[in-house]
Formats: sequence, structure tokens, C-alpha cells
Amino acid sequence: MDVIEAAGLGKRYGRGKWGLRDCTLSVPAGCVTGLVGPNGSGKTTLLSLAVGMIRPTAGTVRVAGETAGSLAARDLTAFVAQDAPLYQNLPVRDMLRVARNLNTRWDSDRAVARLDGLGIALKQRVGALSGGQKAQLALTIALARRPELLVLDEPLAALDPLARADFMKSVREAVAADQISAVFSTHVVAELEQVAGYLIVLGHGEVLLSGTTAGLTAAHGGQTPEQVILSALRQDAENAQHAQGRAQEATR
Amino acid sequence: MTAAAIPARMLRPVPWTRLAWVTWRQHRAALAGAAALLGTIGAYLAYTGREIHRAYDAYAGCVPASMRAQQRGGMLMGGAQACHLANRAFFSFYGSGQGSVVASGLNAQTVPFLLLAVPVLLGAFVGGPVLARELESGTFRFAWTQGAGRVRLAAARLVPLAVVLTAAAYALSALFSWYIGPFVQAGVTGRYPMQLFGTMGTDFAAWTLFSFALTAFAGVLLRRTVPAMAASIAVLTTADVVTIMALRQHYAAPVVVTGAGPAGNSDLVLANWYTTTSGVPVSQDTVLRAFARLPFGVTPSPAMLAAHHWLQWWSYQPASRWWQFQLTEGGWLLAASLLLITGTILLIRRRPA
Repeated sequence: MDVIEAAGLGKRYGRGKWGLRDCTLSVPAGCVTGLVGPNGSGKTTLLSLAVGMIRPTAGTVRVAGETAGSLAARDLTAFVAQDAPLYQNLPVRDMLRVARNLNTRWDSDRAVARLDGLGIALKQRVGALSGGQKAQLALTIALARRPELLVLDEPLAALDPLARADFMKSVREAVAADQISAVFSTHVVAELEQVAGYLIVLGHGEVLLSGTTAGLTAAHGGQTPEQVILSALRQDAENAQHAQGRAQEATR
Repeated sequence: MTAAAIPARMLRPVPWTRLAWVTWRQHRAALAGAAALLGTIGAYLAYTGREIHRAYDAYAGCVPASMRAQQRGGMLMGGAQACHLANRAFFSFYGSGQGSVVASGLNAQTVPFLLLAVPVLLGAFVGGPVLARELESGTFRFAWTQGAGRVRLAAARLVPLAVVLTAAAYALSALFSWYIGPFVQAGVTGRYPMQLFGTMGTDFAAWTLFSFALTAFAGVLLRRTVPAMAASIAVLTTADVVTIMALRQHYAAPVVVTGAGPAGNSDLVLANWYTTTSGVPVSQDTVLRAFARLPFGVTPSPAMLAAHHWLQWWSYQPASRWWQFQLTEGGWLLAASLLLITGTILLIRRRPA
């Protein structure tokens, strides 16, 4: 079963510029999936479409069988955007209350217990938290919604190595404990095998490569996922250059 | 037979009351600011208004109604010494009537001019951040993706804030109407001049609502709070001036009469002009030259004009139409505000980021 199914999915911004074009992919349920690709490859666009933030220009995207952005899909999906945007001026306690009142389901005990375990005081202001704590608070809020799918956009970008490790450990544990699915985007390819059970490599809005981390390693003669991803991206960049060259010749 | 499906999740939207709590939590500071502003003005109006009413009661108890009707401006001829004191005490609340608004200080004549700024500022300062703050700080990526959904969230913010703000503005303008009432009753002023038309009846509340809706809309369009407030204040000021100068007097076809014209100052006089009895226009200069010997401030009476076979014409809006005018302006402002609020929600729906 797939938790995200995209078919011919495309999003055009403004005049002619496509953020994502003719993308068909499936994200398997029940594991942590890493969505890898260089900047501008359409990762954020794909995730924004999946959480219903924006609407597709072409094609469809479904989340746990529901049309992305529908009431049902919103209820099933929890999203942590890049840099974990939260209300800086609120105390953590009120930030939780705001989130509770914006959702149909809310596991208050779990949120409070998690924050307690992380040593984040409820009376502290969100703006006073460290980057790692803020990311953990955003994750806590997302998990308290009891989602079936957790979507994380570049969750590691702003974190130091220790906070990264802690954060992804939390995600893995939550996915295992609740039997849910998680997708996160990243442009950092190092140490991915420790974080993701499944990998999708995106280049220019197209799926270059996908499979379980172990499967990719086996299929490519024991190369690390990092090496496999890098060679796929390099190939894609060369193809794009050739395509550009041909286009220039054609116009000449 | 199929097994009864157990609904794993209750698919119903987040209740409005819960969303209203979020609105309250995020805007209580702005609402406290608005309450402080309105409360300060209200306290001033209540305190001074009580003194005005007391002075008016003393004045009206002393000067007979027939005399009050003629007097209209403070000068009292004859009568007891006590009456002169009561007269002076009452009119002192209206200021000297000379000099600029700023130079003559706070009095019943200048206060309404200052109040005219309140709807614009109140609407802009509360309406500006409502959605633009989310867009400029990036928290919309949190807020728009919660279970409630962005359309419901935007509506749960715009509608309660609009209602509360409009009600508060209406309460203040009701207080002001009571405060200024004695001067209207005494015939010192009509209710058509812009500073009173805009602060009494429903106009004050309607402009506050319009200001709020316009600034919220501008905030989503420009995606920034401060530029949205600046743009909105500029547009509102222009709209206000155009309404006062060019629009308001045309809400109904004016009454055109010949003869002595409207008495008192409660009507809104739009124009007066002269013709011959057969209807040929006569210039104002011709008339003034013919009556050059009249004392300053005295206008030729219909009888004097008749000697030259001239008629004086007036076009005016009678005082009896004041509420009709209030509701006309309130009506189009309400319609425009509803359109803007709907437009704001549609913008959020169509273009979240």
C-alpha cells in the first residue's frame, strides 16, 4: 500500500516556470521515506502538493487514498514545514493550545509527556527555544495530531549534527510506535541509510531512482546509498546539459 | 452481509468555537490596544458629555425655546444675569469657533474632527496583521496545514474580529451622539457636516468595518503588514474625501425650491442661484450689485428680489433625509466590506503562499 500516490503531477508557477512536471511516484506506507534531490528539483513543490498547501496544475496526488487537501486528507496528514515555523511570541503551552484548537484530534497527554522528556518547559516562549528544541516542538505538535502520514520538509537543514540525529531518531521511533508513515525531503545525502528505509531521488521533477535503502545497495553492487544517489544525480545533470545543448542548436 | 465499517476517524470540521479561541489568543493584544484607545476616548466623552448635558439643562431651563431657536450661536440678547452665565457656560463647551482645530484645543467643535481618524486607524491596525502576519513570518505554512483548513481559519478570524470591531465602533459613536446631542438640539449645528455625519448614526461603525476589511485584503494581496496598512490608509483617506466631497450629497435628488430657502442649519444646502421670474439666469454679481447697500451679512429677502422681478432658488437635502443618507452610505460600505472579506478568503484559498 502506498501512502502517497502521484500521477502525472505538475505544478506551474506564474508564466511557464514549472516547479514540478509530469511526476509519477509512490511513497510506500509504514516506513520513513527520504525524498532526495538537488535544490530546485521539486521536493518542496511535491510535498506542498501532498499536504494540500498548493493545488496541482496537472495530474493528481492522493494521500492515504484521499485527495490531497481535502478535509479527510488534512486530518490524516501532519506537516512540519522547513525551519519549523511556529508562533514565536507564544509560550509553548499556548502554542499547544492553538494547535489543539485547530485540529479535530489531539493527544494532549502525549504532547506534554514528549516535551517533558525533551526538557522543554511549557512556560517557555517558543521564540526562546533552540533550533533543535523548536524542531522537536514542531514534531511533537505534528505527532499529537495522531496522523497517518508525517510530512517533513527539509527537517535537517537548520539543525546541528547532534540535533539531527536526535530528531530523526524521534521520527523513526514515532513511525514504529504508531505504525504510521513519514516522508522527509533533504538535499543532504550523507548518512541517509541510517535515517531512511526507503529512498526516492528526484531530479528536475522526475523520479530518477527509488527503492528500499537496502535494495538500492544490493542492486548497485554494494555501493552505499550515498554513492548510488550521487551517480544518479550526476547522470541527470549531464542529461539536462545535453538537452539544453540540443535545444540551443535547434534554435540556432 | 457486510461487516459494519467502524469509522476510524470522525470526519467533521473543527468547531467554530475552537477556532474563535485561537483568534482570541492571537489577537487579544491588538484588541486590548483597540479597547484602550476606544476606552480613553469613551471616558473623555462620558465625562465631558455629562458636564455638557448639565450645562445644557441649566441653559434650556433659563432661555425660552423661541429664543433658543433664533439664537444658534451663543449671543444672548436681554434676559437675566443668571441666564447669561448659563448661556456662556453651555457654549464654552463648543469652543470659540475661531482658529484651527489644533489651536482651539479639545471641545465639542473639534472632537468630531479628531474622531474621524479613528475608523481608519482602528481598522488598519487590527486588520493589517490578521493574515499578513502569517504570510510574512512564514507561520502560514503551519496554520494553513492544520486540520481546520485555511479557508475556515481565515473566516474564523475575519468575521469575529469584524463584528467585534464594528460593534465597539458603534458603541463609541452612540456615546458621541449623546455627547454632541445638546448642540444639535440647540440648533448650533446640523448633522450633515462631514465631521458629524461621519461620527454619528451608523457611519462611524460602517467606515471602521470597511477599513478593517480593506486592510485585511491588502495584507493578503501585499503579504506584508506595514505596507498593507500604509496602502490601506492611503486608499481609505482618498475614498473618504471623495465620498465627502463628491458622493454623499447625491444619495438622493435634491429638493429645489424658490423663496426664502431652508431655515436653520439642519439641512444640507447644495447650491443657490438667481433667475428672472421668467426663468432666465441672473448672475450673482448682478444681484449683489443691485443690493450693494445692504448691511454686511444681510441677504436680500424674496420681497426685495421681487421688485427686480428676480427669484432666488435653492437646492438642498432636507434634515429629514439624514437617516436615509446614513443607511445609504452604511449600506454600500457594508456591501463593499463583505465583498472584501469574501475576496480575502478566496485569495487565501487560491494563493496560499
